[in-house]
Amino acid sequence: MSTAEVSLDVARELRAICGDDKTRERPAGGVYVSPATAEEVAAIVRLANERRLSVGAAGGSTERGAVELNTDIVLHTAQLTEVEHYDHADLTVGVGAGMTVAQLNDVVGADNLMFGADPPLQERCTIGGLLSTAAHGPLRHGYGAVRDYCIGVRFVTGDGRRAKGGGRVVKNVAGYDLMKLLIGSYGTLAVITSASFKLFPRPRQTRTFLGEFAKANEAIAFRDRVVRSPLAPMCLELVSAGARKMMRPEMDEDAWVVCVRAAGSDAVLGRYRKELGTAISREVDGEGERTMWKVLGDFPRAMSGAGNIGPDVTLQVTGPPSETLAIVETVQTTAAESGAEVGMIGRAGVGHVQVTIRGVSQNLAEQVRTIVERLGQLRNGLSVKAVGAQNPWPVRPASLESMRAVKRALDPNNILRGREIA
Amino acid sequence: MRITARDFFAVLNSMRLMPSAAFVGELQRITGHDAVLDRPDDLMLYEYDAGVRKCTPVSVVFPQNTQQVAQIMKLASSAGFPLVARGAGTGLSGGAIAPEGGVVVAFARMNRILEVDAANMRAVVQPGVVNQQLSDNVAHLGLYFAPDPSSQKACTIGGNVAENSGGPHTLAYGVTVNHVTGLRVVLPSGEVVHFGGKAAECDGYDLTGFMVGSEGTVGIVTEITVRLLRRPERIATLLAIFETIDEGAKTVAAITAAGVTPAALEMLDGWTLRAVEAACHAGYPLDAGAVLLIELEGLAEQVEEQAEAVRAVCFEQRAREVRRAKDENERTLLWKGRKNAFAALGRLAPSYYSQDGVVPRTKIPAVLQFIGSVAEKYGLRIGNIFHAGDGNLHPLILFDPRDPAQLELVQVASRDILERCVAVGGSITGEHGVGLEKKNLMPLLFTDNDLDVMLSLRNAFNAAGVLNPGKLFPTTRMCRETSGPSTNPVLQAEGM
Repeated sequence: MSTAEVSLDVARELRAICGDDKTRERPAGGVYVSPATAEEVAAIVRLANERRLSVGAAGGSTERGAVELNTDIVLHTAQLTEVEHYDHADLTVGVGAGMTVAQLNDVVGADNLMFGADPPLQERCTIGGLLSTAAHGPLRHGYGAVRDYCIGVRFVTGDGRRAKGGGRVVKNVAGYDLMKLLIGSYGTLAVITSASFKLFPRPRQTRTFLGEFAKANEAIAFRDRVVRSPLAPMCLELVSAGARKMMRPEMDEDAWVVCVRAAGSDAVLGRYRKELGTAISREVDGEGERTMWKVLGDFPRAMSGAGNIGPDVTLQVTGPPSETLAIVETVQTTAAESGAEVGMIGRAGVGHVQVTIRGVSQNLAEQVRTIVERLGQLRNGLSVKAVGAQNPWPVRPASLESMRAVKRALDPNNILRGREIA
Repeated sequence: MRITARDFFAVLNSMRLMPSAAFVGELQRITGHDAVLDRPDDLMLYEYDAGVRKCTPVSVVFPQNTQQVAQIMKLASSAGFPLVARGAGTGLSGGAIAPEGGVVVAFARMNRILEVDAANMRAVVQPGVVNQQLSDNVAHLGLYFAPDPSSQKACTIGGNVAENSGGPHTLAYGVTVNHVTGLRVVLPSGEVVHFGGKAAECDGYDLTGFMVGSEGTVGIVTEITVRLLRRPERIATLLAIFETIDEGAKTVAAITAAGVTPAALEMLDGWTLRAVEAACHAGYPLDAGAVLLIELEGLAEQVEEQAEAVRAVCFEQRAREVRRAKDENERTLLWKGRKNAFAALGRLAPSYYSQDGVVPRTKIPAVLQFIGSVAEKYGLRIGNIFHAGDGNLHPLILFDPRDPAQLELVQVASRDILERCVAVGGSITGEHGVGLEKKNLMPLLFTDNDLDVMLSLRNAFNAAGVLNPGKLFPTTRMCRETSGPSTNPVLQAEGM
């Protein structure tokens, strides 16, 4: 059935499920729908199964815009914003998938707590989107990945079963760990409707120490020094000279920067100063520090609007930390050959580099393909994700056959096609 | 996709058709003659774990490499006998107990550390490596493996992966799944697959995360890539002594509310304390109502500030005294009492039943009171020694297993306690796993739909039930799909 036919017939039934004002036909065919409850989500997915229609979930469109989804039904999570439980003394919270990260921090901030993830564009990035893409920001270094503190998830499978995994307590091994399975599955297995998390105490004081280096290898050597020291910073971010130029084109400096964000008392911060030594050229705190981390965290998406609209392509590359230099050099060499401009920024302490490629010529896709190919030749064990792409994994995952088995178990009719697993 | 009753009985029948001597010969052909046990007196050693259930396997096989595991798996799938992987048998939920007519795949001979990659803080190990041995092996590099179950001197990393084991220090560092980045897995089809690797992120679905804690029902792990952590420069170990259990319990949430996340936060009630002290001589106060064992780790300046903050909170909550271990010897002694506590209780009764419920931290005082009332109601002795920081209770119920009436009473009391844990928003298991022990309690937590989704995932890999059948999924509700009849009295009583 083509999307054009869908809009006429199915829209009526979707209106019956979600109400007239929450259902809208798309100009290009297909239907936007915004369910208010998990039951409505399940009814939509069951309808899609009956009619063999494709469904894609959309949150804040910070990676792949809702307009880019070419599914018959685009399911907006915007109404799923309920706080299901908030137990501040237990440091746990459960919220709807449509709540944004910024809203969640508002809820818990009053009790001096914080959410552990700071993905790009937190005012728009929803909990559902964060989980689906396993997105992260600079806090990934000190607080772990969202898989480490998501303690429960409620969802509707591709075949319309409403179910959950985990629960509301911080330690729990009852049943399969469905949180792990759904986090980073890009909505191909289930539509997440709500999730529970462990929270963290908000640091009373933070300070950021900046080291500037002429070359990438010097910056990475400094990263190694920090990682091997007794210090345990909140954030340890590497910013390439190219990324700095993209952020502030007026700058003509050509240095790589390592940003070390620390939390603690004056005595603790003093110890950081002592350990980091003369490599530090500048310290930032207060409003300046907050602004700096927001700019770094939102790069490059703050500049290019929603998702990949615009001339940039962004790859999330993660390898063993010993591979960081090779990743950086491979990207730079390949980009130089094709004349592409690249900016790299990342959670260097855990081996992550976000590579943004801006094509100067028309063949951006070709340039990206070459970079991905060269990265693929580096060594096994590198993870490469293409931000916003239909297939998020440009290198065929080694576990593809097992992934397909899982996909068949939860979405046998291949209804969930906002993204594809190749 | 799903196995029907007819499929199941077909498997069961083919199982009976194959005389055990025939597949024992096949197993020997795969692994060598000295790597298969089938004499009844040898098999007796593999019929139990650290819990209370037993079932004698028909054979025990000791593979030496992944290829052999794959061949064993193919043989089991074609001949139709079930398999269960086993590490050291220290589990408490029956996860490694053989299914009826089953073969134990024991990992005692796959116990090598294959690689230590200090630069990336990773190690690649075989499943039979003992937890403590890995930390000992990398200690000279200033590194260690964080999950530290009380059985860490004996339990294997393969077992930790299957059960997603915890331990006292998982409060700050997380359970096993937070420390595994890659797996080599033999699927029931006999296919060998790799999930994840050394990188902190993986391509594709997080099947590593899904495998950890799947209790041997999805695949058999033959290689594990783990994260190693750097040893902290300073550790402060405090012993806070309280007159009453309630004061100790209230302090747990108060410490967290003060913004401090200790590396470990353990609680022992007075009765357990005295039992442990008599056996371990750890220096615990004999007249206390409860103690908290609190460990803080990290940067020296930070640890000192946190130690002061914790001390202040303890006194606010009416602690009688807060002691700090002066040196590594004192620290070791305090932990020796905690880690050997279960064994110490063996001096007081022929056996004990350890529960593993979890509650939100703020509910600890009320649930401990409830446990006291359960003990009174059934006339049982219940000690409490547990991971208070994450609300993971371990009520230890003493009993004599030779008296069937006592065992029954203990199970009724356990169910009461776990029902209360769930009622206050908690879980039936924090680190021991579901296994045989709690499978019929799963409906307390999960709806039919929840369980159905989990079952469809199990069946995506293990539809014929060749791997660890009769575990994890309730037989009371879903017997058609997951289990067959049993001749073992304990298992039969549970509907297996």
